[in-house]
Amino acid sequence: MPAAPTPGSRLRLTALLAPPLLWLTLAYLGSLAILLLSAFWATDSFTSDVVHTWNTDNFHELLTTPVYRTIALRTLSIAVAVTVIDALLALPMAFCMARVAGRRWRRPLLVAVLTPLWAGYLVKAYAWRVMLGEDGVVGAALAPFGLHGPGYGTAAVIIVLAYLWLPYMILPVYAALERLPERMLEASADLGAGAWRTLRSVVLPAVRPAVFAGSVFTFSLSLGDYLTVQIVGGKTQLLGNVIASQVTLDLPMAAALSAVPVVLIVCYLAAVRRAGALDSL
Amino acid sequence: MRKRKTSAWRSAAAVCALLLTAAGCGSGGDDDKGGHAPDRLGKGEGKVNIIAWAGYAEDGSNDPTVDWVHPFEKKTGCQVNTKTAGTSDEMVSLMKTGQYDTVSASGDATLRLIASGDAAPVNTKLVPHYKDIFPALKQQPFNSRDGRMYGIPHGRGANLLMYRTDKVKPAPDSWRAVFDDAAAHSGHVTAYDSPIYIADAALYLMRAKPSLGIKNPYALDQKQLDAAVDLLKKQHKAVGEYWSDYQKEITAFNGGDSVIGTTWQVIANLTKAEKAPVKAVLPKEGATGWSDTWMVSAKAEHPNCAYKWLDWIVSPKVNAQVAEYFGEAPSNRKACAETSDPNHCAVFHADDEKYFQRVHFWTTPIKECLDGRKDTTCTDYAQWTRAWTEVKG
Amino acid sequence: MAETETRARTGTTTTRTAVRLEAVTKDFGTVRAVDAVDLTVRESEFFTLLGPSGSGKTTLLRLVAGFEQPTAGRIELAGDDVTATPPHRRDAHTVFQDYALFPHMSVEQNVAYALTVRGVRKAERLARAHEALTTVRLDGFATRRPAELSGGQRQRVALARALVDRPAVLLLDEPLGALDLALRQEMQTELKELQRTTGITFLLVTHDQDEALTMSDRIAVVRDGRIEQTGPPVEVYERPATAFVAGFVGTTNLLRGESAVRVVGRPGTYSIRPERILLTDPAEPPAGAAASSAGRRTVTGRITDIVHAGAHTRFTIALPHGDRLTVLRQNLTGLPQSARPDGEIGLSWDDKDAFPVPS
Repeated sequence: MPAAPTPGSRLRLTALLAPPLLWLTLAYLGSLAILLLSAFWATDSFTSDVVHTWNTDNFHELLTTPVYRTIALRTLSIAVAVTVIDALLALPMAFCMARVAGRRWRRPLLVAVLTPLWAGYLVKAYAWRVMLGEDGVVGAALAPFGLHGPGYGTAAVIIVLAYLWLPYMILPVYAALERLPERMLEASADLGAGAWRTLRSVVLPAVRPAVFAGSVFTFSLSLGDYLTVQIVGGKTQLLGNVIASQVTLDLPMAAALSAVPVVLIVCYLAAVRRAGALDSL
Repeated sequence: MRKRKTSAWRSAAAVCALLLTAAGCGSGGDDDKGGHAPDRLGKGEGKVNIIAWAGYAEDGSNDPTVDWVHPFEKKTGCQVNTKTAGTSDEMVSLMKTGQYDTVSASGDATLRLIASGDAAPVNTKLVPHYKDIFPALKQQPFNSRDGRMYGIPHGRGANLLMYRTDKVKPAPDSWRAVFDDAAAHSGHVTAYDSPIYIADAALYLMRAKPSLGIKNPYALDQKQLDAAVDLLKKQHKAVGEYWSDYQKEITAFNGGDSVIGTTWQVIANLTKAEKAPVKAVLPKEGATGWSDTWMVSAKAEHPNCAYKWLDWIVSPKVNAQVAEYFGEAPSNRKACAETSDPNHCAVFHADDEKYFQRVHFWTTPIKECLDGRKDTTCTDYAQWTRAWTEVKG
Repeated sequence: MAETETRARTGTTTTRTAVRLEAVTKDFGTVRAVDAVDLTVRESEFFTLLGPSGSGKTTLLRLVAGFEQPTAGRIELAGDDVTATPPHRRDAHTVFQDYALFPHMSVEQNVAYALTVRGVRKAERLARAHEALTTVRLDGFATRRPAELSGGQRQRVALARALVDRPAVLLLDEPLGALDLALRQEMQTELKELQRTTGITFLLVTHDQDEALTMSDRIAVVRDGRIEQTGPPVEVYERPATAFVAGFVGTTNLLRGESAVRVVGRPGTYSIRPERILLTDPAEPPAGAAASSAGRRTVTGRITDIVHAGAHTRFTIALPHGDRLTVLRQNLTGLPQSARPDGEIGLSWDDKDAFPVPS
């Protein structure tokens, strides 16, 4: 048991923690509260001005209009797909970086993985737009095999989002793999486990929390994205687009729509928390 | 533990209450919407923030020979910051931020800006070139209220049908190519990404399905809207992507991702400049279009420079430049003498009111039917917005 | 145990050799960790590799386990050449110094791992895991996580995990290094007992001579990647083959050159164990001289230091000409009167206790 803090130290602690806590409450929770609150307001359909009359029409519309359900499901599926793809890509990549590559290669590899994060989001998205276009390199590379590029659409959105968020998955997985003692792998081999068995029984359980931690990023970032889909999504409509287009016209409706990804993410976090992944965040 | 939770909730509630009060303060009633027009102009503030359609405020960065921003800056000392908007909705929301001085609003934005008080009435006496504006553009329902002008008319034109000459044969002359016949180019059809595009479908239905009785594509009752939405949903299957960003439209046509769809003349020009084989035509059904007005924000921080910009942009020479570059009819009749193509005004029907009767300028749809029907209510823009979300699915 | 007998029957003709290393060399870059080592461990033997840190003893163990590949040489397990066999196909399990328990598995799952990997059915798996846990006196901890156990308990889990499928050889890498003294001594007894009852060949690595002397059937003293001496504890202790062994295994009085001539009375290098020297009252001939009679050597010196260490006392005695001897004496009977600091004292030992070692 640590000793009880003296009044003086408690005061200092309060003074130290008060500004960030205030910031967290006001800027973070406050804006969320305002957002949720404005979902219960209405909009003058002509001027797009917010009318402060309390009502639940927006949520009623949200729940009864089939198109919103379709869009929410589509967005959810894309976020799940992106997360799964990133996990599948990140595991072998991080494994190579942390376990296969020599010690002096680790840092360059890590930098290589991180470098794309320094480039602008839009730059990368537009680069993919060019690559995925009708006369882009993706189509050209697939042409000899008689295949066609995915073109602009849902597939393109998944590809680009998976690319954009991959570092957020690689980093925690890499950290977990690097932390995994060599002894664990040796012990597994020593007890008769082949490479696959060791991967399945020792490596994967050890990185599972890290994968979940990474998935929190990939999932929530995908869920909220609306720029990539505008650039490479063709006619695909995601929650982010609908919110973005409603923000200009019908702020309360946009706020109500924003509640959908918020609810989805909270549910996801709760699920992930049960799996114990947040302990390693 | 429980005790701590309770106190946490209590403080959260306190924060909410605080924020509520703060939010409430901003929405005080203000009946005198839109402020007042100035009586005289002062010195320029050295800066003006503009929201414009692509091609309306060119500074030579797209084409070194197309530049009327720098001469303006030189002449007035007002530094121009341009924000290019892709849709009227974007313009309305940008104006609501209060960070911009002036906007080139189309008819579907002007009335909303006037009604919301975001746009101020304009004292036309302070805009010397106003006297040369075509009379047909003055005191129109979309740019004035109670006899007061809320802006200076800029020019007008039609939304065109653009296609790749190498991929679309024979050359289309009807919007049918993007509606009933869209399947021929499935995956490569494009459409303008805004609820206002519903009017394009309605316009097509005016001819294709006279039984619906559509007289004005912006005055649709529920049945007519449903018909337009059905048509657009059919079109959706063939659409490759929607556009509202003109750059995106250019790369899509240039790369062949889009081969046919709605466009503006300026986009056609820029795409041609990239050596893409495209052509833009006005289909036989007529078209939707725009009549733009430069408006001044009620919260303008740089009103003097804004007025200087208004006068500059409708001065004959500049008005002619913009009109030729964007591909529209100028608003200043003297501009017709300044165009590099002496026939520009004739080609774009600058003074041809008969022609513009075929062009249905963007207007915000409202409950009272704009075509004069009294026996029914029409669908308003909020419904159009929802319908558009549904079209895109 | 039944399994042990099975193993004994399947033992090959090579007189039941469990582990054989032939001219095994291991280089790490330019550093030679193991240098042409030949080694034979017999079946059911408790064999210890004893050496200071950095001597290459752990590398030897890892070579046997298969974690390292030899640069040259040949490794056999039960007569089979396993030089190129990966660890998971070798019939040997390791108890790691830090135990290397799988943190995400329960004690039971950890222990049953080798069986799980081999696809043993669940019921049998659990039964045998519990049996192994009982062997190490940890039944009742099956569902705990390693993080919830003490160091000694983890050590036992590691043992149970390695023993659960009765490997031919158990490799133990400083298994007691992380335990405190009392627990270490307790575990020494237990390990020895375990080895005896299971009949499994134990190959243990340690830097602790007590541990090696207490538990082993045979000891190999390792130094700089080479084996200095192999033999039963008594032999290694009593008859060190080299000066290094003499110094490393137990404490000794090492006398060479002029000192040997003066003290032992012969040229060469000699080791005299401190407990073999008797303390007497200062004798004739007078102080400073050394004499031999009836196979005993007698010298006189002056006590410079006395350390009382419970069961025994350690004396440091200065001889003339600067030679020093350490004497250990069990605290059984009364001391000679002169056995006090700075007192004159006589020393005597059997001639054969001055054991010649190659220098």
